[in-house]
Amino acid sequence: MAILEIINVSKFFGGLAANSDVSFTMDEGMIMGLIGPNGAGKTTLFNCITGYYPPSRGDILFKGRKMNGLQPDKVCKLGMARTWQKVRPLAKLSVIDNVMVGALCRTGSLALARDIAHEMLAVVGLTQKDNFIAGGLTIGERKKLEVARVLATKPSMLLLDEVMGGLNPAESEDIIQLILNIKKQGLTQMVIEHDMKAIMRISDRIVVINSGKKLMEGNPEEVVTNPAVIEAYLGPEN
Amino acid sequence: MKIFRNMHNSGFSPLSVISAAAILSLLLAFPLFVKTPYILHMMILFFLSIIMGESWNILGGYTGQYSVGHAAYFGVGAYTTMMLMQFKQIPPWFGMWAGMVMVVVVALMIGSICFRLRGPYFVLASIAVAEIIRLSAMNLKDITNGAEGILATEIMPLKIGGLVVTDFLTKVPFYYIGLAFTLITILANYLVQHSKLGYYFQAIREDQDAAHSLGINLTVYKNIALAISAVLTSLAGSFYAIYVGFIDPPTVLGLDTSVQIVLICIIGGIGTIMGPVIGSLVLVPLSEALRTNMIAHGIFMTGLVSEQSAAGTFLKENLGHAHALIYGILVVVVILFMPDGVLGFIKKLTQKKMR
Repeated sequence: MAILEIINVSKFFGGLAANSDVSFTMDEGMIMGLIGPNGAGKTTLFNCITGYYPPSRGDILFKGRKMNGLQPDKVCKLGMARTWQKVRPLAKLSVIDNVMVGALCRTGSLALARDIAHEMLAVVGLTQKDNFIAGGLTIGERKKLEVARVLATKPSMLLLDEVMGGLNPAESEDIIQLILNIKKQGLTQMVIEHDMKAIMRISDRIVVINSGKKLMEGNPEEVVTNPAVIEAYLGPEN
Repeated sequence: MKIFRNMHNSGFSPLSVISAAAILSLLLAFPLFVKTPYILHMMILFFLSIIMGESWNILGGYTGQYSVGHAAYFGVGAYTTMMLMQFKQIPPWFGMWAGMVMVVVVALMIGSICFRLRGPYFVLASIAVAEIIRLSAMNLKDITNGAEGILATEIMPLKIGGLVVTDFLTKVPFYYIGLAFTLITILANYLVQHSKLGYYFQAIREDQDAAHSLGINLTVYKNIALAISAVLTSLAGSFYAIYVGFIDPPTVLGLDTSVQIVLICIIGGIGTIMGPVIGSLVLVPLSEALRTNMIAHGIFMTGLVSEQSAAGTFLKENLGHAHALIYGILVVVVILFMPDGVLGFIKKLTQKKMR
C-alpha cells in the first residue's frame, strides 16, 4: 500500500523552479533513496513534504491524507518526522533532554518521555552520552542524536537528510546499520544521500532529481547504469 | 568535556531543603525583629524586583523571546487594579484578578501580532506595542486620568466576611504580600521547568525550526509562555500600584520599566530560577545607593577624593543622576565578563575550585 504519494509537486521561488512536476509513490516499509547533484532540489522537496514550504502546485498524500499546507508540527503529529542536513541539536540541553523533547510529542508525562528517550538512545548507541550537553557532541554523535530525537516522536515514516554527510567510514557504517535496523521495525524511510555506495546498499528504490525535475526512478542497479544519471553527475561525454 | 546536570533532578539534596527552609523562616520572622520602615521598604523593593525578574524569565529565559515591552503587562495590571480601586471602590484583592484577566487579553493580542517576528524584530515589536499602550494611557484622559496619574486616597483593608485580615497602615502587610508573591513566581518557574512546558519552551529557545519539526506548535507554546509571564508581571504591577499608591504612565508603562525588568535577568543569569534573585540582589541596592548618593559618600570615605575638592562637588552633584550611565557600564561588564550572568559566573568559579 502506498504510504506517501507525491503528485506533480512543483515549488517556485520567484521565477526559479526548485521542483517541477515531481511525482513518485512510496510503499510502506521501503527505503527510498533520493539522489541528485548539489542544488537539484532534494532538500526543497523534503521541506515541501514536511510542511516548511507549501508546494506551489501538486499534491502530497500521506496515508491517503492530503498534506499540502499543513504546518510542520501537524506533520510530525501525523507520524512523519525529518532530520536536518545541517544538524540542529538543542545545544544547551543535555542529550537525554533533546530526545525527551521528541518523545513529549506523544505523551505529557516526563517519566514516560524519559523512558522512551533512553530506549531511543540505546537504539542509536548514545546511551553513554545521555548526560552530556548536546552542543559538545562530535558531528557523528550529533547525527545520531538527530535520529534518536525523531525516532522518539514515534513516526511511521522518516525523512533523513544527509545523515552520513561529514562522517568517517566507521561512523557511516554505524548509520547504515541503524537505517537497516529501523527498516526492520517496519518504518518507511526516505533518504537523501551523496555517498553512492551507501545509498546503493540501503535503498529499495531510488529517485534521481536533476535541476528540480525527476530524472528517473528505478532500483539501484538500473539507476547507476543509466546514461542520463551518469551524465547528470559527471557531465556529458564529449 | 563538561557534564551537564539534568534539568530534572529527582529529589532534592537534604542540604538544599534545609537551607531553603532556613531562609524562608528567616524571611517569615524578619518583620518581627526588624521594625525599621526603611529596611522593610528595601525588602519590599527587593521582592518586587524578584517578582518582575522571575516573571520575565519564563518568556525571555526559558522560551528565548526577549520582550523589552513587559512594562505593558506591569502597567496594565497596575492600572486595572488602581482604577477599579479608586474609581469603582473595588478592593485591590479583587482588582488584582481583574488585572490578570485584562493582561491575558492584552498579552494574547500582542502575542498574536509580535510572535510572527523572530529575534531582534520581535524585540522591536514588543517595545513598539508597549509604547502604544503607554501613549494610550497618556491620552485616554477620561479613563486613566492621563499624565496626572492616579493617586490612591485609601486602600481598603482585606476582609474575609466581616473579619479584617489586614489593613495597609504599616509596611508589614506589604512585606508578607511581597514575600508570598515572590514565592508564587519562583514556584511558577519551578513548575514550568519541571514539566512538558519547560522542555518545549527551551526547545523553542534553542532552535525554533527544529522544535517545529518535533511536533511543537510554536504559536501556541509561545503564547502560553507569554500569558504565564504576563500574568505574573501584572501581579507585580498590582502590588506596586497598591504599595506606592501612585501610578502614572511614565513610571509603570515606560521603557525604563521594561529595561529594568530585562536587566534583572541579564545581570543575574537568564533562564535560571535563582538568576533574577541574584540580579535583584545586585540592582536593588545599587539603584538605592545611586538615589541616596551613597556612592559619592563612599568615595569620599575611601579618601581618594575630598568632599570639598572640585571633583568631589562634581561627583556629589552628578553621580546620583548618572544611574543610566552606571547601569550601562554594569551591563557591558556583565556581558563581557559574565555572559551567563552573575549566577553563571559564581557557578563557574565554584566548579573551577572543585577541580
